[in-house]
Amino acid sequence: MAINFDQVGFTYQPNTPFATPGLHDVSFEIPEGKFTAVIGHTGSGKSTMVQHLDGLVLPTTGKVTMGDQVVTAETKLKELNEMRAHIGLVFQFPEAQLFEQTVLKDVMFGPKNFGASEEDAQAAAEAALKKVAISPDLYERSPFELSGGQMRRVAIAGVIAMEPDLLILDEPTAGLDPQGQRELMTLFTDLQKERHITVVLITHQMEYVAQYADHVVVFEHGTVVKSGSPTTIFADEEWLHEKQLDVPAAKQFADALAEKGIQLHNVLDIDQLADQLAARLNGEVDHV
Amino acid sequence: MFSNMIIGRYMPGDSWIHRLDARTKLVLSIAFIFVVFFANNVIGYALAGAFTLLAIMMTGLGVGVFLRGLRPLVLLMFITTLLQLFFVQTGDVLVHWAFIKITTDGVINSVIVFVRFMLIIMFSTILTLTTQPLAVADGMESLLKPFKKFGLPVSELALMLSIALRFVPTLMDEAQSIMNAQRARGVRFNEGSLMARIKSFVPLLIPLFVNAIKRAIELGDAMEARGYRGGDQRTKYRVLTWHTRDTIAIIGFLIFTVALIATRWMM
Repeated sequence: MAINFDQVGFTYQPNTPFATPGLHDVSFEIPEGKFTAVIGHTGSGKSTMVQHLDGLVLPTTGKVTMGDQVVTAETKLKELNEMRAHIGLVFQFPEAQLFEQTVLKDVMFGPKNFGASEEDAQAAAEAALKKVAISPDLYERSPFELSGGQMRRVAIAGVIAMEPDLLILDEPTAGLDPQGQRELMTLFTDLQKERHITVVLITHQMEYVAQYADHVVVFEHGTVVKSGSPTTIFADEEWLHEKQLDVPAAKQFADALAEKGIQLHNVLDIDQLADQLAARLNGEVDHV
Repeated sequence: MFSNMIIGRYMPGDSWIHRLDARTKLVLSIAFIFVVFFANNVIGYALAGAFTLLAIMMTGLGVGVFLRGLRPLVLLMFITTLLQLFFVQTGDVLVHWAFIKITTDGVINSVIVFVRFMLIIMFSTILTLTTQPLAVADGMESLLKPFKKFGLPVSELALMLSIALRFVPTLMDEAQSIMNAQRARGVRFNEGSLMARIKSFVPLLIPLFVNAIKRAIELGDAMEARGYRGGDQRTKYRVLTWHTRDTIAIIGFLIFTVALIATRWMM
């Protein structure tokens, strides 16, 4: 599902004394079947944009095109419900949305709402729970008995079980331990490669952007200020600092090396850094 | 869905009314509800209306804000007014058509009910719009202090009130985000039959309660860790101070009350 924002503007509580601008003049594209990262300082409008992707809010001005569906201020609720069946949205701290008596029932909830039969929903739920590494003996437990990390994974399984074409992740790893973070990110990238789905990740961690993203969108003050490949985005460190963002640690290290006279090219993640340093140690010095 | 509620919200400002002591505003708001009932003729209601309007103008927020605040209550006001109109059967009959009988007393009563409603809501909205919730809680505590002698746990009540007020916006945000998450999973709020609508709120209410309990446990732990041991022998950070303007407000209100009672003998 390719997504296109065309001059989208959004105001919270319009026509009241509490009206606050959320987005203005937002135009950008999310390529189909790719991993897109959305970055920006806190309060820059990223999460407001995410709500547009699932039709949870409608743009005040402009339009959002998602596959064949065009969403404008006049779009009807019914069309949005149909659209939502193809979109998986993992909010920040998704464990707060669990409510059913058992883990399995909670994961089946999404598919059933979008019309899956009891058997299909259960099959989808079991497949999703397997993906997030929740063992079958937890299926009949109450979600409230689980640990925080397990609850997070059950909540994410509930979204994956809907088998979405578009998966939106709003800081899915916030507050998890390093291993849990790695496991989840691997799960998302595997899912994207396996099913060729479009993934949109909102994150503050530049390491993820460097490592996983094909495309990056930068938000500032409620609008998109730049979009492109991670290499183009991270090329201008000064500019990123202005936007209160940073380059990944591997690039910082490579830049520090460059100051000492060791020039490397295109280093964004730790693997690229290691490869180039290894090549250099083996005597393959490229001429700068 | 909660965004258009004006009632109970604080609007920052720096008017004379904003700077009044919360206790003054609390007492006057409650007193006004009783005083309004002294009005029994057009002059009395005109006086009460003028006094309310004056107070509203002095907040510097504009009458429009207050009128918008009435919007959620319009239906309630409308129904009570109609009930008065159709069910008061005394006085001269004005219209008599089939089973509908409208009488002069009915018309007068419904107008009175409507005007009283308007005045009381408008006047109490002044308190909430111009006073920070925590100041209201402090004011309540200070006013309830005399009842401590009768065994009323005043500081506990005040603590509960200020915590409750503090968490209203937090819980509202949380409700909104859980609602969004469940809508993304295919829940349709406010759609379908009554039963379907009631059922659709289960996935909202259960997480909301569970999270509220979790939050309460965490808050309790955090309070204990910071040395909270109960209400007595605590000192206060926010101290309420009485100013000349509070005395002026009280005197102004007393003059209004006397004038309003006086209008009873004017017609």
